Amino acid sequence: MTGGEGTGNAALALTVNGRRRRIRAPDAERLLDTLRWRLGLKGTKEGCRSGGCGACTVLVDGRSTLSCLTLTHEVAGATVTTVEGIGRDPVGRRVQAAFARENAVQCGYCTPGFVVALTGLLRERGPKLPPERLLEDLGGNLCRCTGYAAIRRATEAVCREVG
Amino acid sequence: MRTDAPAKVRGRVEYGMDLEAPGMLWGALVPAPVAHGRIVAIDASVARGMAGVRAVVTGADLDRLLPKGGGDPERRLLPTEEVTYRHQPVAVIAADSRAVARAAAAAVRVATEALPSVDDIEEVFPDWPGAEGPGSPQVVAHVHALHGDLDAAFASAELVVSQTFRTSGVAQVALEPHACLASVEDGSYRIRTSTQAPFAVRSDTAEILGLAESRVVVEGSWVGGGFGGKASSLVEPYALVLAIASGRPVKLALTYREEFLLGRSTLPAVVRIDSSLLKGTITGRRVRLLLDAGAMLPGRDFATGYAIGFLAGPYRIEAVELEGYAVRTHKPPFGAHRAPFAAQCAFVAESHMDAIARRAGIDPFDLRLAHAWREGDTTPLGQRVGPFGLREALERAHRQREAWRADGHGSGGIGVACGFWSTGTGAGGEAIVEFARDGLHIIEGEREIGSGSVIRGLVAVVERVTGLPPAAVRVDYRDTRSAPFDSGVFGSRTVGALGQAVEKAVRKGMGTLAARAKVPEVRLAFDGGELWVVTRGHKRSLTSLLTPAERALGHLAIGGRHYGRSGTLEESRVREGEFYAYTDFTASVVLAQAAVDRETGAVRPERVAEFLDVGVALDPEMVRTQMEGGIAMGLGTALTEETLWTSAGRLANPGLLDYRIPTLGDIPPIETVIVEGFPGAGPFGAKGVGEPPIIPVPAAIANAVLDATGAQVTELPLTPERVARALKLL
Repeated sequence: MTGGEGTGNAALALTVNGRRRRIRAPDAERLLDTLRWRLGLKGTKEGCRSGGCGACTVLVDGRSTLSCLTLTHEVAGATVTTVEGIGRDPVGRRVQAAFARENAVQCGYCTPGFVVALTGLLRERGPKLPPERLLEDLGGNLCRCTGYAAIRRATEAVCREVG
Repeated sequence: MRTDAPAKVRGRVEYGMDLEAPGMLWGALVPAPVAHGRIVAIDASVARGMAGVRAVVTGADLDRLLPKGGGDPERRLLPTEEVTYRHQPVAVIAADSRAVARAAAAAVRVATEALPSVDDIEEVFPDWPGAEGPGSPQVVAHVHALHGDLDAAFASAELVVSQTFRTSGVAQVALEPHACLASVEDGSYRIRTSTQAPFAVRSDTAEILGLAESRVVVEGSWVGGGFGGKASSLVEPYALVLAIASGRPVKLALTYREEFLLGRSTLPAVVRIDSSLLKGTITGRRVRLLLDAGAMLPGRDFATGYAIGFLAGPYRIEAVELEGYAVRTHKPPFGAHRAPFAAQCAFVAESHMDAIARRAGIDPFDLRLAHAWREGDTTPLGQRVGPFGLREALERAHRQREAWRADGHGSGGIGVACGFWSTGTGAGGEAIVEFARDGLHIIEGEREIGSGSVIRGLVAVVERVTGLPPAAVRVDYRDTRSAPFDSGVFGSRTVGALGQAVEKAVRKGMGTLAARAKVPEVRLAFDGGELWVVTRGHKRSLTSLLTPAERALGHLAIGGRHYGRSGTLEESRVREGEFYAYTDFTASVVLAQAAVDRETGAVRPERVAEFLDVGVALDPEMVRTQMEGGIAMGLGTALTEETLWTSAGRLANPGLLDYRIPTLGDIPPIETVIVEGFPGAGPFGAKGVGEPPIIPVPAAIANAVLDATGAQVTELPLTPERVARALKLL
């Protein structure tokens, strides 16, 4: 049923969105596929599957991570936050609200990656970071619809709110 | 705020890539190993024997699997004799997992005898453009139009400017790859898919597979970016054949690499453009286009004639000749991408305008204003120009240029470019509006694709007709068995055409309620989460005006339809082929400031302002977001985006790391200005806004480079190498 790759079927545990999950997965399965097809968390999007678009961004132990280039077994025991869980974080909730309010969402396919990546950056680097630096660090997330203008407005709004 | 945004920021909408069903298999495509060749043998024995493989289908199996052995032979799904582009699917596989399906596809041995491939349109016609048009079996379309005495115009000219331009192919790069889920249920063929046009997928799939259209049911999922690439079928017939062969639901999603190889990109073109000038007036223009059609150009004549219309520009010119050839090559089928080919045409025509202005010593604004169409003018094909905001947009852009020159914020050159477009109301559609206690429901087959045209545009039309708040209106999506027909979300037509169907349904419904209440007219109100009918200042429940059957059903359902017509061309001017008649005239003007690195040739946009004639802005914030998106996409076309076709149908950059679209840091400050007062073909005079914003962008950047350096780059995109060559650095 999954898009899984590799052989074997070893057990591992992950904490996903606050919930402890025990799973079995082939050795070469990507975290992206584990989340989407094994755990049903399809809010994390599959885009290019090669690290070029950022749509699959999740937080692994709080750090922004491309789930398409991460093997599930590599992060055994880690804490993973996806777009489905990011709203429990007050910063994540503000990011979601700002993206919706500022119309930084069109087709929405890049949105989970942007929301998670921006939340991770704000968490990791603190609210004092100038928005220009944040925007630079979001350069790995592609959007084909908005032209980034509304994403910039949403990011600046969140910086004002949490700063 | 968009009503789809809260779910989208939480990752709670289901796209084609997310579709899943119990017992589902995964599909994979087996690619042709050559660009052009005779199929000698397809050996799938290893793949068939792999654990987890449930179906392998080649062209030879179609006779057995499909009721009539297949559909239209011209559109045969899997070839049995000849392949015409590299990676053309020659077999399809379904397996328990995606990994197994892919591994099995890689295990299929496709033996071919290579035939010569046509790669480069200019190699086919080395002498083009000569006096004679290219005669070759590779020419799949020829269009020709002529008006006025061209020879006299050029003979009496004080100045003739002749230029050749080249444009590159642009990939779609919707972030979501094409993806669908197909199954056979109770004798029906069911397809859930990420599409801009469910009814087009239905008719395409039925036609390609030779199935009864009524048996094919298509349901749109949410769409992760369309831009034209999802406006017709692509993965759906392959997935359905696998579902028929395996008896199981089959999910088929392109890999991102396949997205580049098969996902309907635009292809290269060469344009020769000559203009004659007398006393500051352009008296004649001759345009000749050579368009790379790939293995297939949808609507051959139409696509060529449609493109070439934009090359004449939105200008009064006494004598004009337009001639276009579409040339078949061994590249994948050509596709439509946001304002298909109009941005490339504007790059040519508007760069040419600046070249003329420079040679004649005229300000680029003055030259454009002296020639810009006004309402009542006639196009080169004899069509009367309707309300058109070009001059107004140009005048505002001119004031902006003066302001930019004065404020000293940017260091680069400033370029201007014009574009024009037409709302696609010629493609028809129908709507059903339900009047229910909890509000009005627009019943719809197409999902919102991102632009906001469905979820905001159609709702905004209802708001304007009824005065109801947005909370009183919602869009309900249905599959093609229960939704009213509509052509699709493309061509900047959704609000313009479908919006009129919605408007008619709402007005008709209000008329029905008024008749039942025996009053001349009613108003609608929304209070306490409920819809009320106001008659002569008296508020009454909707239920009181429904029949017993409607009460049981829960609503009054009213249909509206809009089957529009395009304008008419003067047939005497069309010598051959099919040209596009506009329904209305949308103008966009872009002003761009860009700095050029004199050592590397790198171009850095510093600011962009766009002036868009929208007729009337039903939701100005949605118009603005379309403008910003179109401008950014246009910057990609201008500066970095290029499919690199090498020899024998090979694509050198089928991935996002090698094919670069703009990222956040690439986008300069953008200013958007809405121009109103020139009504179009849509409801309340609205014009389509999805496509026009991209059109002038590449040209404006090129003209800014010309202004900064005095050098004109005649090939898109303006890569550092091309700019450096123009600056004679290389």
